[in-house]
Amino acid sequence: MVAVSLCRVIFPRFYSLSCRTVQRSSAGRRSISTGSPNFAAASQIGRVYTDKHEWVEVSAEDSTVATVGISHYAQEALGDVVFAQLPSVGAEIKQHDEVGALESVKAASELYSPVSGKVVQVNTEVENSPGLINKACYTQGWLFKILLSNSDELKSLMDEDAYKKFVSSSDH
Amino acid sequence: MAFAINSAMKCTKFTSVLVRQCSGGTLLSGVTKNAATMASSADLRPTAPAGGQNGLSKSVFISQSRDIFTNLALEDWMYKNFDFTDHHIMLLWRNDPCVVIGRHQNPWVETDTELLDRKNVKMARRNSGGGTVYHDPGNLNITFFSPKSRYNRKQNLEILANTLEKQWNLRPEINKKEDLIIDEKYKISGTASKLGRPNAYHHCTLLVNVEKADLKSSLLKNEKLMIKTNATSSVPAPTINLSEIHSGITMDALIAAVGWQYMKTDDLTNEDKGWGQVQKQKGFQMINPSEEWFPGIEKIRDEFASWEWRYGKTPKFEVSRSYDIGWGLMDISMTVESGVIQEVYLVCPDGVSWGGMTGKIPVATSVINQRFSQESFILVERALKTHKFHMSEPSNRRHAAHG
Repeated sequence: MVAVSLCRVIFPRFYSLSCRTVQRSSAGRRSISTGSPNFAAASQIGRVYTDKHEWVEVSAEDSTVATVGISHYAQEALGDVVFAQLPSVGAEIKQHDEVGALESVKAASELYSPVSGKVVQVNTEVENSPGLINKACYTQGWLFKILLSNSDELKSLMDEDAYKKFVSSSDH
Repeated sequence: MAFAINSAMKCTKFTSVLVRQCSGGTLLSGVTKNAATMASSADLRPTAPAGGQNGLSKSVFISQSRDIFTNLALEDWMYKNFDFTDHHIMLLWRNDPCVVIGRHQNPWVETDTELLDRKNVKMARRNSGGGTVYHDPGNLNITFFSPKSRYNRKQNLEILANTLEKQWNLRPEINKKEDLIIDEKYKISGTASKLGRPNAYHHCTLLVNVEKADLKSSLLKNEKLMIKTNATSSVPAPTINLSEIHSGITMDALIAAVGWQYMKTDDLTNEDKGWGQVQKQKGFQMINPSEEWFPGIEKIRDEFASWEWRYGKTPKFEVSRSYDIGWGLMDISMTVESGVIQEVYLVCPDGVSWGGMTGKIPVATSVINQRFSQESFILVERALKTHKFHMSEPSNRRHAAHG
């Protein structure tokens, strides 16, 4: 996700929004969760992020399917989203491909896929009410679900803590 | 839009190509001299300043095309291929009469497409967001290119506002929508952007002496069509030409003034550093958006001019028209996806039947799977003549239908 350079956003506010995070330690054993312990046990990898401000979360039931959305930081930087152009169901996409666009007040921002695979579902509610992305970017405002073709790609993405540091440290 | 261009050119090399050709530029006599001078001095320093804090240089490119599709292709080519890390560019371009809709808009909602065809006004879809605008050669389009990390729309608009204030003592304001407004009400400039990685651009219009009657008539809608859609809608605003406010503002004078102000401004600090700053810049350059200068640009132009891009990229919608059939209003309704008609329905008023059916009736017609146009309705009307309309419950419904 893009569109975030000029906005000097205040970050600490959204720390509280991301509550179901599992942090992978270097040993790969210890998981720290600030949310539901059941969820933490069910998922090896919590929500992870790209440097373009998309998030990916692997389904607790089916580890081959991941949900993609944009981060709180991204939605705040974009402002009110007025149109969501999402990929088509069935589309085969590669990591970093441009797969759609989000239009906020007068800016069309390209949307990139954080992972490779086949699109299995798009959020039609978001197509009908793009404001959901602003209201609930991690829940109702998800964008599409993808059948992962290479789950190793997830390992290169940032976990919650790394992403927090990334967002607060640099000028994007 | 899948633009596949492999031949990214290096800016420094590219500059020397431009320099040779632009000295013959004749688009603007007032500016050409400066352009040639500036370009020559750039030529004497063929190596671009090395990166780092003070290594940022700027250029003003002036497109010599008046074709909207070519200019959109030029903009897209630069967005996709240039490295703006150490070199910011302002592209100035003008078009023959055309209407330009935003990336996620519906041309049938925003314009009367048949009327535009008749008036020979081209309809184009740009890649950035926002609403519909009318262009003619009296409108200056300004594109600010930078890396995504240095994209700053407000700063760009301040350069324009500063230009108008310093040169002509006008005091435009930047409103909430980031339009430039004069006298609290009249719009002189509309803004839109495209953000990607690694590049971004912000482009805006500046009304100098646009034919206002044509502007108005080109943005008229077809009132007969009722359209349900999620597409981005336009926000109409009263407009004014800069030449109406100050007779000294001509297109040539404005291009020169905006260009110099851009080059005086340090993009890293947003300070006007005066003529000393201009020494760091590469100057004005006349641009010929041809295949020779921009390999692959023809293909991009063809895509911008294609039906698939202009109409096919319309977000799905439902369009209907009402007809008075004597017993009330009958609607013909169509669902359209990617510009292609998916389903056609007839909606009969209460108590009226068609072919023995009432209410919302699916119609099998030859327009299904065809490209939607305003003419599609005429074809459906013809198809409907295979059956007559009947009052299905004449005794108790007649008065309602007439009411």
